Amino acid sequence: MTRILKSIEEFEGEVSESLVIVDGHDLPPARHDGGSPEIGRSRRRIDATQRVTGRARYTQDLYLAGMLHARILRSPHARARVRRIDTKRAEALPGVRGVLHRFNTPKTPFRGDDVIFREEVRFVGEEVCAVAADDEDTAREALALIEVDYERLPHVVDLEEALGDVAPQLESDGNVSESGSHKRGDTKRALKEADVAVDVTYRTSTQLHNALETHGAVALYDGEMLTVWESTQHVFGVRTGLKNALKLPYSRIRVICDYMGGGFGAKNGVGKYTIVASLFAMRFGKAVRCVLTRDEENLAAGNRSATLQQLRLGAKGGRITAIEHTSWSNSGQGKWIANPTGPTNTLYEVANVNTRSYKVVTNAGSLSAFRAPGYVEGAFALESAIDELAEAAGVDPLTLRRRHAGAGKDPITGNRYSDKHLLECYRIGAKEIGWDRRRAGGTRGSAPHRRRGIGMASQIWGGGGGPPAYATVHVDPDGSVVLTAGTQDIGTGTRTVLAQICADELGVELDDVRVQIGDSAGPFGPMSAGSMTLASVGPAVRLAAHDAREQLLGAAAGVLETPKAELRLEAGAIVSKGARTPLGEVLGKVDNNTVIGKGIRFPNADDLAQKTFSAQFAEVEVDVRTGEIFVERIVAALDVGRIVNPLTAASQVEGGVIQGIGFALSEERIVDRALGRVMSGNLEGYKVPTVKDVPTIVVKFVDRPDRRANNLGAKGLGEPPIIPTAAAIANAVANATGARVRHSPLTRARVLEALALAGIRD
Amino acid sequence: MNAFSYVRPRTLSDGLRLLRSGASALAGGTDLLGLMKDGLARPELLVDLTGIEGLRGWSRAKGKGLRIGALTPLVELEEAEELHRAMPILRESLRDAATLQLRTMGTVGGNLLQRNRCWYFRDQATACWLKGGTKCFAVEGENRLHAILGAHECVAVAPSDLVPALIAYDAEIALASSRGRRTMKLADLYVAPHGRERREHVLRPGELITEVRVSESALARKGAFQKAMERKAWSFALVSVAAAARIERGVARDVRLVLGGVAPIPWRVVAAERGLEGSGFDEAACAEAADRALQGAAPLRDNGYKLPLARELVRRTLRSLVV
Amino acid sequence: MTRITVTVNGAREETAVEAHESLLTTLRERLGLPGSKNACEQGECGSCSVLLDDVLVCACLVLAASVDGREVRTVESLADGSALDPVQRAFVETGAVQCGFCTPGLVVATHALLRENPEPSLAEIREALSGNLCRCTGYGQIVEAVQRAAKTMYLHGLDDE
Repeated sequence: MTRILKSIEEFEGEVSESLVIVDGHDLPPARHDGGSPEIGRSRRRIDATQRVTGRARYTQDLYLAGMLHARILRSPHARARVRRIDTKRAEALPGVRGVLHRFNTPKTPFRGDDVIFREEVRFVGEEVCAVAADDEDTAREALALIEVDYERLPHVVDLEEALGDVAPQLESDGNVSESGSHKRGDTKRALKEADVAVDVTYRTSTQLHNALETHGAVALYDGEMLTVWESTQHVFGVRTGLKNALKLPYSRIRVICDYMGGGFGAKNGVGKYTIVASLFAMRFGKAVRCVLTRDEENLAAGNRSATLQQLRLGAKGGRITAIEHTSWSNSGQGKWIANPTGPTNTLYEVANVNTRSYKVVTNAGSLSAFRAPGYVEGAFALESAIDELAEAAGVDPLTLRRRHAGAGKDPITGNRYSDKHLLECYRIGAKEIGWDRRRAGGTRGSAPHRRRGIGMASQIWGGGGGPPAYATVHVDPDGSVVLTAGTQDIGTGTRTVLAQICADELGVELDDVRVQIGDSAGPFGPMSAGSMTLASVGPAVRLAAHDAREQLLGAAAGVLETPKAELRLEAGAIVSKGARTPLGEVLGKVDNNTVIGKGIRFPNADDLAQKTFSAQFAEVEVDVRTGEIFVERIVAALDVGRIVNPLTAASQVEGGVIQGIGFALSEERIVDRALGRVMSGNLEGYKVPTVKDVPTIVVKFVDRPDRRANNLGAKGLGEPPIIPTAAAIANAVANATGARVRHSPLTRARVLEALALAGIRD
Repeated sequence: MNAFSYVRPRTLSDGLRLLRSGASALAGGTDLLGLMKDGLARPELLVDLTGIEGLRGWSRAKGKGLRIGALTPLVELEEAEELHRAMPILRESLRDAATLQLRTMGTVGGNLLQRNRCWYFRDQATACWLKGGTKCFAVEGENRLHAILGAHECVAVAPSDLVPALIAYDAEIALASSRGRRTMKLADLYVAPHGRERREHVLRPGELITEVRVSESALARKGAFQKAMERKAWSFALVSVAAAARIERGVARDVRLVLGGVAPIPWRVVAAERGLEGSGFDEAACAEAADRALQGAAPLRDNGYKLPLARELVRRTLRSLVV
Repeated sequence: MTRITVTVNGAREETAVEAHESLLTTLRERLGLPGSKNACEQGECGSCSVLLDDVLVCACLVLAASVDGREVRTVESLADGSALDPVQRAFVETGAVQCGFCTPGLVVATHALLRENPEPSLAEIREALSGNLCRCTGYGQIVEAVQRAAKTMYLHGLDDE
């Protein structure tokens, strides 16, 4: 019976309610007795062969016949009014097909604006004009021939400058607006009554995603259908963006993302380059490619906001009694903000909490979601401050956390957690790192002037996923299986784990399942973001496979003239009293019939909080004369429900830890304040970790299914591993040296300054 | 990239003839092509030197020192065992330079002549002083990577790791142009951009480096190299230090101390060298040399950390010559 | 335009190229070989690593005009139909591939390493691959893949490719 149910979902720290159309019933939680043929087994990626051979086609690899190349002219000024654009010389260049700019482009609503080329450009890199030409070089050359008359306006790019009185006010209500707050208890009183208190300020720098594949799209219009290939984390989101911008119905837009070279949150929706490519494609009836360069990527394709954070913590009797946390985030020209106060509000059971987050508008590139947006920045500050408090109170920092980590309820909503094993993460991680070797004040390092230390930090995040998500399982007459689901594989292994779930539930071999995803022509699925893909799509796949299996057994009962109850489907064969008949043989007896199983994601319980928890432990050495940090070992212990594929899960965790190390030690967008320009926009200046920057990483999963979460018992895993890394490292550095660095990344300059302040030379 | 003509001569004389009229010489391309892609170099004629015989490879004839052809890929210097025995500082200084791919493509001559890495210089849209503009944007801008010593109008730093190492061995370079040949000390190739001299070296138009030479007596020195980076690989030096000396019965002679990453030119510190002459590189002498090396330093807003960092690297590099 | 003749993956190719065209562009756009990836165009990431006369280079920093008469090998040459070569197989088996965008460059760089040094130490592997940036994995499985490939190739000889 079709009906409407209420569901609660969490996405990037925000909880919301939704309505879901459902039919039939969900499955009970999958068995977890070690007997599953696929779930819980390490499997190689089913698409790895295509990727290692260079055969996988990414968006940038599509070269369609007669394709035009679009390039974008970007503002050289941090803030200016575009008064006039002269494209005569550019258009006269042989091979140039057309230009788009604010004076000739129809209304194309985009993220709250009604145009893609704004009259007032508000950061260096903002789109001013686009050119389509027969080849890339001509398009590039044409950009240099466009003359733009800019009226320059006062600008501000720096977070703390934008907070000051002399900065130009960019919005009618100023540069600063409150984006979130939470209050429980009475922090003022608790701080007054505290035995010890710390009052500290932290800063985090802007981090750039730098997925190896830059943003880009190829659009093709045949007069009826607009087909767009895009490197995206959400084919349906791009479709919605195009629908809004171009006023086409969903039915006439198809977005495809087959292979995709990483996103980390920066590719969650439509881009201006997508709309530019589509507008040109619709105008010329040809394929149009618009792929960003690395420089453009780092100017105008999103970032993790820089933050300024103030924390006041109090403790009494060896327990945390109060946390006040105020945070300001540089959102650039972004329309939203990720609040860094999320972990403070929810991670620990503390009676008195008062937090406030502010969004600060500047003339810098917009933020976009970046792997646990807000939480990475917030955890760096909160978890550093907890260590500072522990030290002031003379309590072991892990012991202090343990006293507050056992709560079974979400402190804001009062809803029970669907499951929680944070204390178990502490136990596993502490044992693995050898926490009992940790000494207050650190220990001697392996060389002169080197100190050794251990630190840890913990994490909370959503990851429960939710509806809507759909899947179908087609079983063809030869017994081969096509699983279609509304999702995309951005590199995480989605294709592989969905195939495992399908094979497991259906009773076929993994190799028999082909996975068709990354195509908006199929059923809807969520963004591959927010650690929600597996927990959203996986249960729908299981249900679809279950439906197909029931139908297959019914059909087999008829063909084999055996009661259905006596039949099983195992490893691609119908098994009856010890006799095995391959599925293809059974189905071969009925001509060209196709079995179609359908599955949906059922709602989340509306009285439970679905969260992921983990802790990371870092062991470091610090050269106190040169400020160099050597991260030697990271232990990550995670509670993310059931693990479907330990191999791909571990690599997700390791990848998250490495990005956390980058955030902690070397990654930093540097912007010249006077020019408003990104100076570290290439991969030499912007320092993502190399293979030599990588420590030993030990990954441990609690691996207990969260039976109240969904029919798989699995939760998301993309974001949890990046959240605590930087704080764990900063805490280890402080333990090693006695010097506290309160600004990430912990560059040589910042470490040497902190060491000098603390008077440490050996 | 701008449009240009491309030629690949087979002989040095053809190459020099082609270079006479403002053409650019291309060797490994790891710096020049990047500059061209960003519109910072716009040659009309590109003369690819890689087809020229005789400029690649190295030799060490008895008593005649070491000669390294300018087109020798960096990776060859790094990997040759015989070279490593003769002059270990080559491998030490190259090991953390750029990446394996870039060292494979890049040549010795190109490394000596690479342009600085200042992000204002490298930004096409910024008309900085070195590119003919009116001011150096780094002085009041983002200068964490810039010079603390010896800068005039431009505060970009000398980027090479190899060059300080070679200067510590008093390397000479042979130059050729269609007008003739000359040699000079490698150290004399570099100038701190100032006044009308808006460039980092004194190579004349149409001139090529053909060879790098290290004398037999210099090869008797012991050398050491250290470098500080912001990540563990693929970074230009925040600070690098090359030191060399002949050590006779525990006493240092012909001491050389050259810093990279701190000044617009490879920063040789004669005062510190003199102070070490005759010493045994004991802790006190090394510490004093480190202080002398940084004398006159004038840090900018964000690069003061280079002082303690350089001081410590100098001390360690010198100490490593005897410990 | 200049005409060049170049041997790519064992086949002689003749094509016209622009003077300023990079080898990467020629491979991807003229010769139908998009396996080498374009991620920075400045030699900073290693995604376009190819072998030029058996030497590891970034194709984005090689002028196409300069490869006239020379030999190029790209990632596309390594597998024989559905049979992967030992390096590719090791990358698949160890889970060294995530989004896979850096993988072709890493696979080629691994070949270059193992050709020179069939038994590299951990430090040598890390050294050799530090110019190939990966943004998804933790690199650990990549290093493991190289070790596994080295073992296989050492046992079975270099020339089963």
